[in-house]
This record gives sequence, C-alpha cells and structure tokens, in this order.
Amino acid sequence: MPEYTLTSAAPLAGTDISVAGTRLMAPADLAIVSVALPLGEEKPAGKAIRAAYGVALPEVGKSSLAKDDSRLVRLGSDLAFVIFVHPTPDAERVVAARLKGAAYTTDQTDVWVALDLSGPSARRALERICPIDLHPDVFAIGDSARTMMEHLGTLIIRTGDDSYRLLSGSSSAGSFLHAIETSLANIT
Amino acid sequence: MIINHPLLGPRDAAEFVYLGDASLIERPDWQADDAAEAFHAYGYLRDNPAGKHAELWYHEQGDRSWLVVTRDTTTHEITSVEMARDVARAKGRSK
Repeated sequence: MPEYTLTSAAPLAGTDISVAGTRLMAPADLAIVSVALPLGEEKPAGKAIRAAYGVALPEVGKSSLAKDDSRLVRLGSDLAFVIFVHPTPDAERVVAARLKGAAYTTDQTDVWVALDLSGPSARRALERICPIDLHPDVFAIGDSARTMMEHLGTLIIRTGDDSYRLLSGSSSAGSFLHAIETSLANIT
Repeated sequence: MIINHPLLGPRDAAEFVYLGDASLIERPDWQADDAAEAFHAYGYLRDNPAGKHAELWYHEQGDRSWLVVTRDTTTHEITSVEMARDVARAKGRSK
C-alpha cells in the first residue's frame, strides 16, 4: 500500500496583492481561540484575562493588544477572540493554560481565514462592501465589528491608521478573497 | 432600515433575522393545568397590530444577540431597542 504524507495548507496562503500602493495579504500562522465568559462568573474571567495578557478584556466592539502581540477582540457581551501568531495546532491549550480555567476556550483557527489590508486606499477599497461606518473618527484604531461583506460574515478590526484585518469563514475563503480583491481593484 | 443596537450602535437591518412577536419570550409553564390552551395561544395566536409592535430580532451577522425591537408596522419607525436578555431578566427570569 502506498504511503501518503499529508501536509496542511492554509486556504489563502501566499496571497499578496498590491494595487495603487495598497496591499492585501494573508498573514501566516494565525491562531484564533474563542473565549466564552461563564454566566455569573464574568468578573473572575475578566480578572484572569487581565492577569494572563496584561490588558483588560475590551468592551464590545473594541480590541486590545497584549504585550506579546496577542489581540483580544470582544465580539459580544460574553464572547471574545484571542488572535495570535502560533504555528503549531495547540493554540487552544496554550490559551486555556494561561486563563487557568476561568473561561471556556474553543479553537477556531481552522474555521477562519484572515486578510490584512493596508495602505492609503484601504478605506476606499472597503467602502463599497463594508456596511460599517469606517470614518476614522467613528471607527478608531483597535475598534472591531462583526458584520458581513458581499453576504459573507466578516470580522473587521482596525489595526492601524490605514490598516485593517479582515476575518471570514475558511469554507468560503476563495469567494471572500475574490470579493476583497475585486473591491480593491475597483479603486483605480 | 437601521436598527440601533444597544451595544454596537446603528447596524443595517440586513445583518439581522426577524423572528416575530416578542411575546415568544414568555413561554408558558408546561406543568400548569391549562398548559394545552396556553401553548396553543403561545404557538398560534398573534395580535397583528397596525402600529406599535414589540418583536424579536436576531443579530446573526453580528454579535449573535437577541433584541426586542419596538417598531411601528405602518411606518417602520423604531422607538426602542433592548437586549432580549435584559427584557427577560426584568420579567423576573433568573438567567
């Protein structure tokens, strides 16, 4: 019987497109772990997050960046994501160990794909497909929103002056890339 | 139509899914003597008002929260938006 060796490959690995000085690329080795706050135990969970990451659990619609570059994103009143670079498939255990059982953690790494959009025209590239008001005074650096773009559920995080991280479902990764790529090409 | 989410601010109605009358929060007691009639009313009987209507909306493409939206069915004017969780707790529900 032939022996097969399977190699894992991220759906959008290697994506790197530049249009008019604005760059769309897929970050490598991104791990995503969801943190659900236990009902009635929200305060101890918040304390455990602060102890583990050195930053407070952000408010809904905000995110905060820990010293080790992990990003905590609050998606709802009792749900947050920890997004960090972690190449091995044990991200959930790493986060669970840091939180010492104070919250429910689930590995979401393979469920999502990420695209980083940055450059002077990043906002213009998103304005046609993003229903969220991205005006810099309204959507500040670190703000996040779960919404949809071209009917695909999307999490958008403003990571800098002109840079955004977009996350969507990995099962529709190709369609998601097509939507963003098309919108980016339309700015010229 | 824009729904002003209590936590997230104004969001497009396309992000939400409509369920129906907010009275669906008040599920009858299945052990009560009149449970059969109560569940019949709960399942099938609606007032269908022309005017102010409290209804349940689910923010599926957002934070996955349930909202109680009070909307005028003749003008679509929204007068209040509350978290369904808060509404249920105000009615004395424990969780």
